[in-house]
Amino acid sequence: MKSHPDCLIGIVTNPESGRDIRRFFNSSVFPTSEKVNMVVRILAALGVFGVQGVLMMPDSVGIAAGVIRAVQAHRAISPDPWPVVCILDQTIERSANDTRRAVRLMMNQGVRLIIVLGGDGTHRVVAAECRDIPLVTLSTGTNNAFPDFREATSAGMAAGLCAMAKLDLSKVCRRNKRLNVRIGDREEIALVDVGICSTRHVGTKALWGVENLAEVFVTFSNRDSTGLSSIPGLLRPTGRDDGEGAVVRFDGTDPAYWLYAPIAPGLIKRVPIRSINPLQFGIKCQVAISSGTIALDGEREIEFTPAEHPYVWLDRQGPLTVDVLKALELAANQGLLVTGKHDPDPQRQFMS
Amino acid sequence: MTAQLDKKQLLQAYRTMRRIREFEERVHLEFATGEIPGFVHLYAGEEACATGVSMHLGKGDYVASTHRGHGHCIAKGMDLRLMMAEIYGKKPGICGGKGGSMHVADLDLGMMGANGIVGGGGPLVCGAALAAKVKKTNNVAVCFFGDGGSNQGTILESLNLAAVWQLPAIFVAENNGYAESTSSRWSVATGNIADRGAAFGMPGAIVDGHDFFAVYEGAGEAVKRARSGGGPSLLEVKVNRYYGHFEGDQQTYRGPDEVKKLRETKDCLMLFRREVTKQGELTEKELNQIDDEVKAEVDEAVNFAKAAPKPEASDLLTDVYIAYA
Repeated sequence: MKSHPDCLIGIVTNPESGRDIRRFFNSSVFPTSEKVNMVVRILAALGVFGVQGVLMMPDSVGIAAGVIRAVQAHRAISPDPWPVVCILDQTIERSANDTRRAVRLMMNQGVRLIIVLGGDGTHRVVAAECRDIPLVTLSTGTNNAFPDFREATSAGMAAGLCAMAKLDLSKVCRRNKRLNVRIGDREEIALVDVGICSTRHVGTKALWGVENLAEVFVTFSNRDSTGLSSIPGLLRPTGRDDGEGAVVRFDGTDPAYWLYAPIAPGLIKRVPIRSINPLQFGIKCQVAISSGTIALDGEREIEFTPAEHPYVWLDRQGPLTVDVLKALELAANQGLLVTGKHDPDPQRQFMS
Repeated sequence: MTAQLDKKQLLQAYRTMRRIREFEERVHLEFATGEIPGFVHLYAGEEACATGVSMHLGKGDYVASTHRGHGHCIAKGMDLRLMMAEIYGKKPGICGGKGGSMHVADLDLGMMGANGIVGGGGPLVCGAALAAKVKKTNNVAVCFFGDGGSNQGTILESLNLAAVWQLPAIFVAENNGYAESTSSRWSVATGNIADRGAAFGMPGAIVDGHDFFAVYEGAGEAVKRARSGGGPSLLEVKVNRYYGHFEGDQQTYRGPDEVKKLRETKDCLMLFRREVTKQGELTEKELNQIDDEVKAEVDEAVNFAKAAPKPEASDLLTDVYIAYA
């Protein structure tokens, strides 16, 4: 396919994803080198579909540098076109601000789509900035309920087809639900879950215990989720497209029953359940305890005191995400991936 | 998750961090007068790391420190007067004034010493942890090292050995961004030192070294794991130092406002004060009182060190060999 001079895609790779304290329970790690490899596989797919430019966030651990090295090596050994990769000119704080700033810069430069490599927390940060730019999600985090666990090549193909306007986005994108948290003037969002716990400090941010948990709000929950959303997922799952969320309340002293749930990879805890109820759109719920911390998508982010009265509500103003399977199905059904024997475009020969 | 700290523990945490900061700021001033011999490498800015880790340790637990070791020594409970005297090279110093800043040690406290050899603490910790395991003392050993040390063979060999023998060891990588003047961005191949744990079959995690509570929680899990027989862990603490690699380092490799911004936005003492007062756990008055007490304590340590005698020529012949009874 011919490249499109205006077709820019952003790639966000969180260098810190998958490295929090929960590693002590499961020993797994998503190495930097594999994040580089995933981006390389995405570039290969984007190149085939004619995407001309990719904007990447810089980092201090060598992901962007590894991608640049791979691009240079590719140019030396292969005629296949890859997009030009530009690393954004921004300072690095080694915090979520890096991601926020990168997404804003990508938006300013007119990206058509953003591919995100990270866990629930990374996707939350991107979602807060990306407005209506669709996301292609790939999981490289600790808790990965929101992003897809899938081969990067397929995700890259779907991203390329969408960015090149070969597919009707309204048919392949989902408008996600989200949870909103308001505390004073501060407003935050979560894509999967909001946990309210009595722990006073955000500390390592990661949430891996249930003893201090008071309640959990979720946008959706699956039977096979890992993280806080696994709790409602195992009790009464709620689909991503369902018209409601759920709220679970806990009681360590007199629970209605106990539930075994995987609250982090490799960490199954016995959780004292008091109740589970549907959460309707727009209903503002004041949190159940007077002080503590609020975890957004598994990470304690906000401390609150008795003087503050945070509340939570659900809406459907979350990010647009590309359903990769649906996109590839549609592309296949429309014959976009099939070519004839004598197709003049060499990039399409492999598909004949 | 980590249990909530009570008021006594919070006061202890703040006092320890303040003692380290005050001590280091004072050494910075005193070194400029030329009275302190040798090199000093200051720990200011990294206080939350030594404190957050050491609050999980008892007297029987071991610590192997680095050339930037004052903070680890103070957090492990070393006497400030004896430490200051050691840095001044005076006879009442904790090592007789013969070690100086880079060799402060107190084996009675389990402090195996600051260490002039970059990455030199790893093998010591493996030995101490093996002893604890064989003797079933339930003690653990902590190896502090920097991003420069993370590239030394000794550390990599120690990570391997600790994993092979499942030693009760905790490897704390204090990544302050610079190995002397070389940015870790240019010298640490995996970027995150914690990633290297997986290669040795041990968990590696990252915590924010500016946040005492983050270090405390992270170190707590690593120590619990080691003490309960779960083997070693690698904890990377992302942190910053306020002074040069050594006193006198012009730091031309750092941005002009880098340290100023860090002091204004990421100072661990400031962040701690903000958190505990917001939550109503401690008051400004209580914290200010600690500031005053610590200042007096450090003043006294400096005066003690300055007034103390130097070692005699005959002291050159003592502490050279040890006799095993």
